[in-house]
Amino acid sequence: MTRRLRSLVSVTASLGAGAIALALALASLHSCAQPECVVPNYTDPECRVIVENELARLDAASGVEVRFVDPRGSDLDWDALGLVEEPAAGSVRARVASVGDFALRIRGDADEARTVDLELTNVDPRAVLRVGPVGDLDSGITLPQPGEPLLRRQLSVDVDAGAEVELRGELPCPERFTLAFVGDIQTNPTHFERILERIREDGEAAADAGAPLLGMVIVGDLTEWSNDEEFFKIRALLGNAPAPVAVTAGNHDIFRGAVAIYNSYFGPANYNFDVCGARVAMIDTASARLASSIEGRLGELVGRGDADLLIMATHYPPHWGLSGDGWSREDQPQLLLAELALAEADLIVAGHQHALRDSIIHVGGRDLRQIIVGTGGADQGLGVARFGYLRLRVDPSAGITPCFVEVPPPGWAGPANEPLASLPYCDT
Amino acid sequence: MSEREAPATTSSASVPPRVPENAEAQAKRAPVTVAPDPMANQVGAAWRHCVPGYAICTRPRPARWLLGALGLTLAGAGTAYLLFVGDSLRAGDPGGFIAGGGMAALGGAVLGGLYGLMGGDRRGDADRLRPSTFAFDYTSGGAPRLGEQHPGEIALRFAPNFYFRDGGGRLRLFGHVGGIPGRETDVDPRPQVSEVTPGSDNTQPVALGERLLSVGVGTDLAVTLPYPLLRRSAHLGAAEIRWRPEVQIRRHDLGDRVIERTMLLPLTIGLRWYLSPRQRFTTYVGPRLDFVAAAADGDKLDRGAPNVGSLYGEVWYDIDVPLLVRPSAPVRLNGMFTLGYVHSRFDGHGINIGGAYGFLGPAYAGWHMRLRRRGKPAAVQVGFGSWFGSGFAAVFSAGVVLPDLGGKKL
Repeated sequence: MTRRLRSLVSVTASLGAGAIALALALASLHSCAQPECVVPNYTDPECRVIVENELARLDAASGVEVRFVDPRGSDLDWDALGLVEEPAAGSVRARVASVGDFALRIRGDADEARTVDLELTNVDPRAVLRVGPVGDLDSGITLPQPGEPLLRRQLSVDVDAGAEVELRGELPCPERFTLAFVGDIQTNPTHFERILERIREDGEAAADAGAPLLGMVIVGDLTEWSNDEEFFKIRALLGNAPAPVAVTAGNHDIFRGAVAIYNSYFGPANYNFDVCGARVAMIDTASARLASSIEGRLGELVGRGDADLLIMATHYPPHWGLSGDGWSREDQPQLLLAELALAEADLIVAGHQHALRDSIIHVGGRDLRQIIVGTGGADQGLGVARFGYLRLRVDPSAGITPCFVEVPPPGWAGPANEPLASLPYCDT
Repeated sequence: MSEREAPATTSSASVPPRVPENAEAQAKRAPVTVAPDPMANQVGAAWRHCVPGYAICTRPRPARWLLGALGLTLAGAGTAYLLFVGDSLRAGDPGGFIAGGGMAALGGAVLGGLYGLMGGDRRGDADRLRPSTFAFDYTSGGAPRLGEQHPGEIALRFAPNFYFRDGGGRLRLFGHVGGIPGRETDVDPRPQVSEVTPGSDNTQPVALGERLLSVGVGTDLAVTLPYPLLRRSAHLGAAEIRWRPEVQIRRHDLGDRVIERTMLLPLTIGLRWYLSPRQRFTTYVGPRLDFVAAAADGDKLDRGAPNVGSLYGEVWYDIDVPLLVRPSAPVRLNGMFTLGYVHSRFDGHGINIGGAYGFLGPAYAGWHMRLRRRGKPAAVQVGFGSWFGSGFAAVFSAGVVLPDLGGKKL
């Protein structure tokens, strides 16, 4: 073998061996590793997990600490179940993320008693609010019910030095109730206002029928470009909604890597809540993937717990079928489906596809029902647009009955489309 | 590197090695004499340049221009289909593959053209790279994070070939067994769960611990199309059609539960186009069936019924680079550059453009080499490359090439 050839062969072999050794070394090297999100990029779902939890707790300028806790009980000091802000020193605003019961704790200043002016938003006007010492709420007081059907309450809470009080909202539960789901508003908040108006009208009729509207769920894509103006507009619309609104993020809501814009307007995108026997799990799939920590917590987040019914709401459909418009990696939606099957979920509601779809997904020996309701106003491409919302009649002892309400744009005398074979249009 | 095509395997037991891929072989079957090119001295001779050394004149430049133009047209058409037809009409499925595959074809044609301009449109070497008969691959894991383990994945691959006696095709059995070597972990970054552990820099507890078993098996039947199929195809290179049924299984052990994902590809069909003796364009497409099964606390897995998944597809462009092929040399050294696109996110991240997530699969670029000592039936292959999606994963491969089965020397 010539010297030149020997050199070539040895260089080749050395390169290959060196590359493999380097890769193995890098894989096991941790001395240069940094924690998650040291350089924030809020298009990364793990960064949003961090910020949604941080925004659920506030150290106010007055020295008090306000934080959301799980009304069902939790070992954690606080939970990502709302958004706490201090728009002006001494004034605290808290947006409840969930529908149904909620709880806030206020820890007083260590040295002096304080009065906290608290504005609560996204609270059902029927909810009964009580304030009292943590662990002994019964010795506290029950606040008077508001005179108007608004989602906003204002109150002042006195907190002694070093003390901690809990503010709890409890929603009286009817035997049957209604939930409304929709997603993908994007460029068309004008039509979304029409849908909201229809939900308000239907909610009044539902209350008369003994199944009041307890909440709405928006499955992402509230905006087109993640702009402040768009979020401001949607938050204002939802502030006047006919019922509290639970929201999760869509891919159009997270375009801005440097700002956690969705979370700063609406708080968490990964959480669950119980409403009168039904558990609704909200999962952030706005980046077409799950944060790894959320993947690890799926058993907790989409678990059924003590609830009779389980609904999972997210932006990207876990099974996108023939649309081809799927997740960034397929193992995660399939793991999510598997967890939902283990939890025996009753329904999956998703958006992203600007269409209405109803399908059955086979997961092992179990069939899961998935309804895609990306009909909140966004452009639907060619064909006659089908706008509207999904209405669920929920009876914890009997199950969920879904139907779709088409809200056609001006110019159509009535529904512009035929119902799906498996999903009827609502009668009223 | 593609498990299906990129590196490894050759033909033969001795030097000169035997049986090149058969469509290619057909093109070479005629005596190796330079066919006179009647247009050699005319205007546009460079454009119509025939690869020297073949009886049938093959013109790589028009072939690459045709592929590039087709790729550009398809990329544009696929993108337009996605944008304008809209989700309400289920536009994404073919649109994503057409757009991604078109871009890969265009990219391959451009790279192949550059290589041709450097003098690469010449006779190929029969001992060019094919998948190793047996190989070991390592794919790097995610970026290092404090408190997390991302060891990457390893795989033992196999891909023996059987060549038909009449030289009209070959059958390849391919597959792999592998997974994560050890356990991959991710932390829970929520501030309210952080706690200081003595002796550890990390305050975040583990949220996800996973072991992965990865298994796949399939066959790839390649049948040579008559060459030339049409009068003009004689100038554009030979082609072959393929059928590649395949199954891929991933078993995720998450501690208290096991989740198994299966992708069944029963009707994947392919086409290979030999644009020049050293350049090949290959594409596969087919329907896909998905099974998802889960079991908790040691229960038995029930795979149940399949779901119809989105289209599966692949596009590859291979460029051979003979490095040391003199007959008198004690070793033969061939290289190959591979560019590819896989329209599936079964194993990883797809390419995302801005907020347009999930329409495309990952792309691959890699360089592989085969080294064969003179007179030896076995050769070794090494290579490296990277998958590109929302992030990248480096791939390192080393394997051995054993003599093929069946076939006949040409």
